[in-house]
Amino acid sequence: MRFTTLNELRAWLDRLAQEHDLIAPRDVDGHVLYRPVASDDEILFDYERPELSAKDYLLPSTEILLRVEKRGSEVTLEEALPDRRQVLFGIRPCDAHGLVVLDALFLEQDPPDLYYRHHRERTTLVGLACPQMWEGCFCTSMGGAPDDPTHLDVLLKPVDGGYAVEPVTGKGMALLEGLALEEREGKPLPVVADAELVPVTPPEKWRALFEDQMWMRHGERCLSCRICAYVCPTCRCFDVTDRVVEERAGVTRIECIRVWDACTSTNYRRVAGGHNPRPTKPERLRNRFYCKFCYYPEDFGPLGCVGCGRCIVSCPVGIDITEVLHDVAERSGG
Amino acid sequence: MTTSEEITCEIRTQARELLASGRVSCVIGYEMGFRGRARPAFIHDADDVERLIWGPDCVHNLTVYLHDFKKPRKRGEEPPCVAVVVKPCDSRAVNVLLAEQQIERERVFVIGVACEGVHDETGEPAARCARCDDRLPVVYDVLLGKPPEVSPAGDDYADLTRIEEMEPAERLAFWLREFDRCIRCYACRQVCPGCYCTTCMFERDDGLWVDIGIEVPQKHMFHLGRALHLAGRCMECNECERVCPMGLPLSLLNRHLTREVETLFGYRAGQEAALSPLLFELGEEGSPI
Repeated sequence: MRFTTLNELRAWLDRLAQEHDLIAPRDVDGHVLYRPVASDDEILFDYERPELSAKDYLLPSTEILLRVEKRGSEVTLEEALPDRRQVLFGIRPCDAHGLVVLDALFLEQDPPDLYYRHHRERTTLVGLACPQMWEGCFCTSMGGAPDDPTHLDVLLKPVDGGYAVEPVTGKGMALLEGLALEEREGKPLPVVADAELVPVTPPEKWRALFEDQMWMRHGERCLSCRICAYVCPTCRCFDVTDRVVEERAGVTRIECIRVWDACTSTNYRRVAGGHNPRPTKPERLRNRFYCKFCYYPEDFGPLGCVGCGRCIVSCPVGIDITEVLHDVAERSGG
Repeated sequence: MTTSEEITCEIRTQARELLASGRVSCVIGYEMGFRGRARPAFIHDADDVERLIWGPDCVHNLTVYLHDFKKPRKRGEEPPCVAVVVKPCDSRAVNVLLAEQQIERERVFVIGVACEGVHDETGEPAARCARCDDRLPVVYDVLLGKPPEVSPAGDDYADLTRIEEMEPAERLAFWLREFDRCIRCYACRQVCPGCYCTTCMFERDDGLWVDIGIEVPQKHMFHLGRALHLAGRCMECNECERVCPMGLPLSLLNRHLTREVETLFGYRAGQEAALSPLLFELGEEGSPI
């Protein structure tokens, strides 16, 4: 295996931070979050699952799509695409998996989403394997693993005295130039991933359960907040609006922005004229799960869930996606 | 002092009677969640009352769900009658909603529970309980349990005083740093019994006050605006702070205003079913109000 020490890794990251936007797990007032870091001192190497996914760096929670300036009768449009390269360091395998789920919609459709593609092409993913599965984690049920290299450019695994370094893609290999590596005997032990498997029912079997009473039972307690969607690595709904940022004599400047949205929120589905086809909480919560396990796989391929477990631990009223999956499996005959 | 098991039994007995007699169509209480933690439960059938539990992790303020029962289930019908399990802090929300004509007293059966405080996820006393000296609900149709013999704590506002003693620039920096973490998920608003506007002013289509961006200026405006809208109405259940996935210390905003209203008006929201004097009372000339 290829091996590096923590000190070498730190030195490499410190150099990367000079040449790239380096995003890494950081302690932000007691919360572990993927955040931009200026040097290796700010990076956490020993952490659980960051509280938010990494999608903010590919699908920003607020993104300016277009700047519009109106001077008298003259209108100018400017695309707002920053030309920055970023390295996401310390990203967990489930979060990388989440980005591949987003790719199916934003990259692999015609036309692709230009903004997402722009960020994705300029991003390199350096993952750090989870040493274990944490509370709520069920990545192994969703085709992942705590040390799954599949969706990363480089995977690091903690081993005695440092890290095993596994380049996965050519992009990852290129980034590793400049990191002092040595060859060592042996290979890292697989991470113990003993969490109980959650049954995933195939999309076609979901259709028959659309009117099932279980949606009422799970949905009644929903608060219609957006926590589950906003902590989720694969939820991708957005809203678009224009906002006036400056208005003075003869000049108006407008930004067209896109912003995260969530299908659990009350007015998400409201249409012109005020009609809301999903007026109740059970209907909205049902849509959340149908999107992930029925509509998205049917329309775009992958399941809309990677088993990171964030929605489970952060739901204030105990709505649990694995409980829903168990219920669906039970009702559709396993 | 009554044990959790005894109260669980009594809640089930009450619920069975209320549902079997047709007095209510739903009992809102607590059940054991999928991972062994209490969570809100909606019992529609007397045969399901065994799901109901009571225990120290029954943190949720269930009165927020009363808003879901305000409208008739079918056109032409009366709105449904519902029973709700409340702790002392939650019970104050019942009074606020009664005063603001959001619920009708005869349609809500209040199952009050004497409270010695609930626990957060780590098993420690919840933040709100450490500063609460209310042991009995202020409104109920039936009271379960006896007031526990624990010494009342009361709020010494020590954390709030630290913030208030900061220089304005320092205090602003403190809050902007906190608001920076906010993800604008609206959980604080959605869990609040007092936040029931059909269209929140911060979520208007026309973006009259703030646009939909999830950035510090919008989040700053949202949190301060929400706090002001709850001045004299917040009943200190602290659910907003409990549910915040980013750990914003929202109670500092609400308790600051709660203390102001109590000092100026001698009024605590929800002690009685009376409207907050904040918007209706004018003081004599020269008075601080």
